[in-house]
Amino acid sequence: MTIRKRIIIAALVQALLICIICFFAYISFKAVLTKLRTIEVIDDLNISLLEMRKAEKNYFLYKDLEALKELIKLGQERYELLKSTRYYVEPGLHDWAKKNYKVLLSTLKKYIELAQLVVNSREAPPHLEDELRNLGHQLTTFSETLLRKERENVNVIINQNIKRLIGSLVVILLIQLVLWQYFFRFIIQEIGIMGQLIKMVAEGQLHEVAAKPISPHNEIEIAIKAISDMARMLEKREEELLQTGKLASLGVLISGVAHELGNPLNNISLIAQTYLSLYDLLGDEDKKTYMGDVYTQSERIKRIVENLLDFSRQKKQELREHQLGDIVMRSIGLVGNNLKISQVKHHLSLAENLPPVFVDASQIEQVLINLFINAIQAMPGGGDLFIDVFQEPGNEWVFVKVRDSGTGIKKEILPNIFDPFFTTKSTKGTGLGLSVSYGIIRQHQGEISVESEEGKGTRFIVKIPAIKTNKGD
Amino acid sequence: MPQKIVVIDDEKIVCDMAKKILENEGYEVETFMNSQLALERIRQQRFDLVITDLKMENISGMDILREVNHLYPQTKVIMLTAYATLDATIEAIRERIYDFFPKPVKIDELKKSVKKALES
Repeated sequence: MTIRKRIIIAALVQALLICIICFFAYISFKAVLTKLRTIEVIDDLNISLLEMRKAEKNYFLYKDLEALKELIKLGQERYELLKSTRYYVEPGLHDWAKKNYKVLLSTLKKYIELAQLVVNSREAPPHLEDELRNLGHQLTTFSETLLRKERENVNVIINQNIKRLIGSLVVILLIQLVLWQYFFRFIIQEIGIMGQLIKMVAEGQLHEVAAKPISPHNEIEIAIKAISDMARMLEKREEELLQTGKLASLGVLISGVAHELGNPLNNISLIAQTYLSLYDLLGDEDKKTYMGDVYTQSERIKRIVENLLDFSRQKKQELREHQLGDIVMRSIGLVGNNLKISQVKHHLSLAENLPPVFVDASQIEQVLINLFINAIQAMPGGGDLFIDVFQEPGNEWVFVKVRDSGTGIKKEILPNIFDPFFTTKSTKGTGLGLSVSYGIIRQHQGEISVESEEGKGTRFIVKIPAIKTNKGD
Repeated sequence: MPQKIVVIDDEKIVCDMAKKILENEGYEVETFMNSQLALERIRQQRFDLVITDLKMENISGMDILREVNHLYPQTKVIMLTAYATLDATIEAIRERIYDFFPKPVKIDELKKSVKKALES
């Protein structure tokens, strides 16, 4: 689900909760309002009743019929009013009061009728008067009780509403907390993955990032996929760069190889010429030996060409267990003739019992050949090339140290030598050799570093993680 | 008394073939694949002609040329090389090289050159 959708849904849920609370609050307030109106009506009734009782009292004291007529008039007015306001008063009443409201109405009616009866009969019998007084008393008591109860009821409702509002507020806050917690945890988790991938790209682990299977479901996953795609493109570019760097080395190697081919070709040529000019003098054994030599020399040519072809081929990275010493020796073999032409003597020191390394042999070869060629070019008048393969005790790396006795590198430019396209060889260099080497070694989780002193020579140290072997077993 | 020739080349086949051809021409031939050993031998024994490769391990053909010029000014030196750079050629001429053969060497021409060198 996209983050946009998640946010919208979260907002909708919130809005819905608020609407529900508002709805209940509205209903409660409406109930309170109805109650208040009811109380008003009952209050009015109470006042009227008191006046009626006053009229009733006057009648009993002074036998004043006019007072009784006043009572009837007031009573009738009140009865009509109660009847007409019944539709909104009744719903506001307590269940108990609803039943009794009818009784109230009928009692009031009865009270008025009784008063009318008294007025009409002029000399009312005493039981009629008692009944009138009794009804009046009933009415006031009832009305007062009703008023008291309804007032209490209003308080209850208002208190209930306050509790309900606070309760809903707490529930909403809790829901929000849970919702946002879940939401942020999700976002933070995804951003964490993104950060990890970016770090991996920075560390050069492009293949692992590019190989990450991602089907994006939200905006962050789209960004993650973009990083993965970027890593794939970078990997492709790096492969191309690797090949370009290799071709640059190849240019130098080829001049050495061309010369290296000269010897076996010269040998074959000499054998053929000797064979032709001394044919009659040569014995069968000699002739056999000569042909055997021709075969050996042609095999030598084949091997030289194969090595070169093998080096120049563009290959997919293939990590395997190798002895670093073997790769170093093969690389020296490839630059052997360049060393010879340039009168550079190499001194290989290979420690025994080194642990294997997990590398792409051809890529490491490319790095070493680049270092060797640089060293040879730094010693135009010949010199010494020291190559040490070793391990430091307790250390989990295998080291290759390549030291020359050449011109050295100026201090100012030392920090730049691993930058792409940085070269001191003007048009002769591409500036890719060391930057590609750096990339290769980083991809192998290794390190490459340089120390140099102008006029004395340069030392490159390549270190590659060793495969842990259980020597104790 | 046959004339003495020393052949120095770190390629065994060059030594073997040169020995075969030149001995067939009636010369006495010694071969060395190690230029250091060759130089020691030259210091003990005067040869009429030195045939040497230019680029070798230890001591180069140019060093041998200089040493021969120094010890035996009459001895001629013929140089064989797979890497006939202009610089090397000029240097060799300055050191009074007798002849210069790029590899692959043409035997007939080498034979002619040897003959001429030893006649003069």
